[in-house]
Amino acid sequence: MSQETTHAHHEHPDVVGSRNRLGVILIIVADVAMALSILFVYFYLKGQNVNNMWLPTATEEVPATVPVSSMGAFYIAIISAFGMLLNGYALKGAKAKNQSQLTLGAMIAFAMSVIGLVYQIQQMNSAPFTMRMGAYASCYYLIAGLNALHLALTAFISLGNWNRARLGLYKTDHWHVAIIQVWWIWMTVSAALGAFALSFT
Amino acid sequence: MTTTMDRTASAGHSAKSPLIEKLNVFTAFGLGIILAVVFYVLAAKLIPEDTDAMLIHTKHDQIILLAMIGWFIGFMVGIGALIGPFRWLLGKDLSHDENMFYAGKDLGTKRYFRYTTDHKVVGIQYLVTTMIIFGVGGILAMLIRTNLGNPEGGWIHPQAYNAIVGIHGIIMIVGTIIMITGPFGNFVMPIMIGARDMAFPRLNALSFWLIVAAIPPILSSFFLGGIMTGWTAYEPLASESPAGMDGYIMFICIFAISTMVAGANITATVVRMRARGMTWNRTPIFIYGVVASVALALPAFPVFFLSQIMSAFDRAMGTTFYNPAGGGSGWLYENLFWLMGHPEVYVILLPAIGALMEMAPVFTRRPLFSFNVAVMGIAGICGLSALVWAHHMYMSGWAPLLNGPFMLTTELISIPTGMLFLVLVGTLWRGRLWLTVPMASIYALLWNFMIGGITGIYLSDVPADGALHGTMFVTAHFHYTLMGAGLTGAVASLSYWFPKMTGRMLDRRLSWVSFWMVQIGFNVAFIGMFLVGLAGQPRRVESYNAMFNRGNMVTTAGAYVIMTGMLILLFAVVDSWRNGIKASDNPWFAKTLEWSVPTPVPLENFATLPVVTTDAYGYGKAKS
Repeated sequence: MSQETTHAHHEHPDVVGSRNRLGVILIIVADVAMALSILFVYFYLKGQNVNNMWLPTATEEVPATVPVSSMGAFYIAIISAFGMLLNGYALKGAKAKNQSQLTLGAMIAFAMSVIGLVYQIQQMNSAPFTMRMGAYASCYYLIAGLNALHLALTAFISLGNWNRARLGLYKTDHWHVAIIQVWWIWMTVSAALGAFALSFT
Repeated sequence: MTTTMDRTASAGHSAKSPLIEKLNVFTAFGLGIILAVVFYVLAAKLIPEDTDAMLIHTKHDQIILLAMIGWFIGFMVGIGALIGPFRWLLGKDLSHDENMFYAGKDLGTKRYFRYTTDHKVVGIQYLVTTMIIFGVGGILAMLIRTNLGNPEGGWIHPQAYNAIVGIHGIIMIVGTIIMITGPFGNFVMPIMIGARDMAFPRLNALSFWLIVAAIPPILSSFFLGGIMTGWTAYEPLASESPAGMDGYIMFICIFAISTMVAGANITATVVRMRARGMTWNRTPIFIYGVVASVALALPAFPVFFLSQIMSAFDRAMGTTFYNPAGGGSGWLYENLFWLMGHPEVYVILLPAIGALMEMAPVFTRRPLFSFNVAVMGIAGICGLSALVWAHHMYMSGWAPLLNGPFMLTTELISIPTGMLFLVLVGTLWRGRLWLTVPMASIYALLWNFMIGGITGIYLSDVPADGALHGTMFVTAHFHYTLMGAGLTGAVASLSYWFPKMTGRMLDRRLSWVSFWMVQIGFNVAFIGMFLVGLAGQPRRVESYNAMFNRGNMVTTAGAYVIMTGMLILLFAVVDSWRNGIKASDNPWFAKTLEWSVPTPVPLENFATLPVVTTDAYGYGKAKS
């Protein structure tokens, strides 16, 4: 079947980067499946409105569930988009071997992920209902929870990215930053999809 | 410590190395147990008591789930899974020596108890773990069959019986999912495509240790009231079940993460790391089976993961995803579950069939009959398997108008399945048969899968399903597909690749005895089950009408024959591994790349990477 040939053990960074990018994209595929399933849950339960409990009306003990404005979720998507653009700015810096641009972009992208995370948690804490108050409330927390999880992961990744940029580890290759950009793009799309869903109450 | 890690050569990183060296399965279990206890105690103290005004009492589930999360975090920290990510975060990437240590270089048997990245070690770890899972699941199966040996049951308490049925079901499903892609996908696949390792070796180790971390939660459910729902964990029944359900939820969530990680890793490895010259037309068919399986699992298991997260929230946080009183829907769960559940059948079957298609040319000394048809069949099954989920829900009352379309898509899937049959039969046709256990397994698969497939057509038919749904007929059907076809492929794979994995030949006489006992016992057991199912015996019952007694006795007798055959196989594996006849590098005279490397396989597989110039099935051709 084959003949053998010599081959260096150490691979070119572009080869490693290409492989890693595919791996991240495949993991994102799994995350896309979960995010789309959450949208399915939202629209399925909204469409079914079982026992008129999508948005329960007031009873003697419990007030009516009033949906929150989807603008909060869109703000999260906008913050994510800013983070994505800043990471893109850092990536440009890495490609141009501009260390200060790379570090600055990576640092502010990290800051955006933390701001987004804090803002998302604040939104969840200030919602005018608990997650027990009907199907809409449960779904709202599910979408917000996914955003919070994404943002927490992004904060971890962005912190590492900034630190590595600061240490000058991207001088020879920049595929880490490029892969993180892929994740930022998906996170922004995911946040926008969640906000879009929440605009249907 | 026998490691040769050169501390002086990796100055700057060496100060960190002792931690890597200290972590192993014992520290993982130790830290996991400690954190589980800490989380349990803290949760019990800090979480407020449920009040009478609360419709759903959640504190107990919160405590149990938090303790299991504590176990999970502790285990993963203790095994060393987080070292890589945090070293990346700190900008202190692992040195070459540390990577060699992770790969298990010069660690001997200790490497099997560590977070080892060498794909061959991971393959062996998967093999042993799969055998343990089947051992536990098999013991539970024998308890079930023994209890069903007489109509009154009564040998096992009904509640314990339900728990046994549920845990048997889910643990066997997980075992069958990993039984080929785990051991053989890891050990054999990278060598078969001419790679030195998997694309992401640390993710490879992660996918394995996640499965180990998932096992204690499911076993703990025995002591937390059991799983009362069967393996499907339908809602809202699951929300009303005891805390054993939390073990199921945790088990599935961890396993789903493992599956996603493994899916991304295997797919990236095959797409990016095939040897030079290994075009898609020269890629062995086993690789197609494995990649199709993990590619199906990659988007399917996150849906299952989500369904269980929502179950956990319903139980522990009082959300109402599945609770109709709060606007939820049990049908929602059924949809999410079967969106995973039906592709999962092919996640199990495709590697098994792929493995047998790989072996067919070797033992017939003929090229694979119509490689392209085989690839089209696999692709067709993948495509259609995502469009058939609701045939499991005909009788649930969900969307009756969709029953017709789902019947059509389900019956269509028999076309690509038939193409795989055609490839196998075509390869056997006029071949010079070398009658080994793998070869006989091809015949067994054709027989068993034919019965499993044809009975599946009955169940996909809406009117027939009305009569057969919820009966033992269904149980027999899926055992014919998952065990009769899937497990047969796995045992054949074990027999075929055992020499490369262990350096020894699997005992020929014992493996033949085991093969015949398992196949005869299997057909006796499950044809008996078909008969009582056709007569109307419902599944998941602890006792039954005396009219079903004879069929159940036959099934129980068959089950004992299977058990004996499996024990003989287990003995053969252990004995051959220790004392078997030493195998040559290529005992089957096969042409795929894994047989071109020495046994035991060197750490980096190939001294020099191969260049592929022909396909792997050129038996009987002058230039092959």
